[in-house]
Amino acid sequence: MRPQTDADDPAAETGSTTESDPESARGSAVISIDGLTKRYGDVTANDGVTFDVGAGEIFGYLGPNGAGKTTTIRLLLGLIKPTAGTATVLGADVRDRRALTEVKSDVGYLPDTLGFEDRLTGRQALDYFARMRGDERREELLELFRPPLDKRIETYSSGNRRMLGIVQAFMHDPQLAILDEPTSGLDPLKQDRMHAFLEAERDAGKTIFFSSHVLSEVQRVCDRVGIIRDGELVALEDIDDLLERGGKDVRVELAESVDEDAFVTSEMIDVESVEGTVRFTYTGEAGALLEHLVRFEVVDVEIGDPQLDDIFKHYYGDEREPLPGDG
Amino acid sequence: MTAVLRLESRKRVRGSVILLVVFALLSALYFSMFPGIQAEMDAFEEAFPEYMFDLFGIEALHTIEGFVAAELYAFFWSLLLAIYFAYVGAGLIAGDVQDRRMDLTLSNPVSRESVVLQKVAALWVPVVALNVGVPIVVYVAALAIGESFDPVALAMVHLLSIPYLLVCAGIGLVLSVFVDHVRIARGTALVLVFLLWLVDGVSRLDPDYEWIGDLAPSRYYDETAILVHEEYAFGDAGILLAAFLVLVAVSVVIFTRRDI
Repeated sequence: MRPQTDADDPAAETGSTTESDPESARGSAVISIDGLTKRYGDVTANDGVTFDVGAGEIFGYLGPNGAGKTTTIRLLLGLIKPTAGTATVLGADVRDRRALTEVKSDVGYLPDTLGFEDRLTGRQALDYFARMRGDERREELLELFRPPLDKRIETYSSGNRRMLGIVQAFMHDPQLAILDEPTSGLDPLKQDRMHAFLEAERDAGKTIFFSSHVLSEVQRVCDRVGIIRDGELVALEDIDDLLERGGKDVRVELAESVDEDAFVTSEMIDVESVEGTVRFTYTGEAGALLEHLVRFEVVDVEIGDPQLDDIFKHYYGDEREPLPGDG
Repeated sequence: MTAVLRLESRKRVRGSVILLVVFALLSALYFSMFPGIQAEMDAFEEAFPEYMFDLFGIEALHTIEGFVAAELYAFFWSLLLAIYFAYVGAGLIAGDVQDRRMDLTLSNPVSRESVVLQKVAALWVPVVALNVGVPIVVYVAALAIGESFDPVALAMVHLLSIPYLLVCAGIGLVLSVFVDHVRIARGTALVLVFLLWLVDGVSRLDPDYEWIGDLAPSRYYDETAILVHEEYAFGDAGILLAAFLVLVAVSVVIFTRRDI
């Protein structure tokens, strides 16, 4: 048994995958976005977004609500037209409707708002999509995600709707899955199942483009992350690098108040202390933190992921300029 | 690729069945009334000012053909059914866009042109259901009260109404690709179809202004001329059909170019 820790990111192990599909080497771009811009009057929903998503990776598209994630996704699917710039999906230019329509048989899409025909049962809805793009993996998926297929969709809970959405997005075994907030509405157990499923898909050579506003989720499954804020890509990097810079949110409850100068180290930033409880963001090594803490009389410790907003604040400043290193 | 057509056809079944039942009940009502009031129809025709009849295109009320043309076809078919088609047409695209169903539909390898055309093609359900069901009901009901009804004229009043109903659906469809909110699209479509019908009727009252009604689709479908005079205006039906095709083409062009 290997030690199971919070930081044991499964993404780290996939370099030496023994999966059967050797052609799925990472690198060739499945999605290539180049200066993609969408304006609605004065509002710029996407502003010169540029990055690539390589074959066989799980790419996390991270940003607060309203940052422009869904706009990018809808541009990629050709639902809306770019004001400037362009993108290719599986080699098809998003401005070329005909080419884009053709590659859609190899694309799975899970929208943030799932607009099903509510009068249909789950099974009828899947039959409908199957007629357009096949369903060779339907049964396999229905063993993992089990929406009540014989009930009308109008009676579904949001979790069941999401599961039906997941099944329709993957049942035709697409090369590329574009998922907009794929786990919202799912209970934690199903979220774990979804994450494990996405990792297995990635290991089988599929490409996953995955938007989320939850850092921990992106952190768990994604190999690489792009962060979007106010329509602009503000960071593009490997998840490990991001987390290294993101640090950890720590809350320590001490038996008695200690001298702050003795307790605080240079790796702690944004320290707030109220009576015996100290909160801070820790940017150093986890081991060093624990070694430091045992010197004090600790009642309780919580170490969690930092909030996305904190990452922005600490590492990207409040400036709206894209960072160097954006593709 | 007929998945959209199949789904849309299925969605049209319920409304078509309800309308068929409504028309069957209306027919039963009017046919049961006819023998009792046939004799009084002459008096009825004298009692009302002539423009009332001109407005609805009514004549020969004492004949079964004239009576049915006036009671069933002049109002319920030419106006209410036309409004129904406009309403359905207006919901075809706007409803799906508003509820984000279109996002999922278009994530399939299906073009926007194909989606519009399949949705329009699904109108075959109400077109066939009503234009087969209602004439059978009317014909049988006429026999049941001991009248005979010219089957050719009856078939024509339905056949020639199809382009008319399709134009009304086409008006709705153009609004449907243009307007984002399905309620606005539907409301506008049914008001527009009603106004066009009214313009046709009112402009007929004064020969100097009759040309205004040339823009109204109902000008090209005259149920009384078909049933009473057995005049079958195939040319007018052709104009309606052409107008319908233009409306569909305009809708496709708008829909393929817009953001959804």
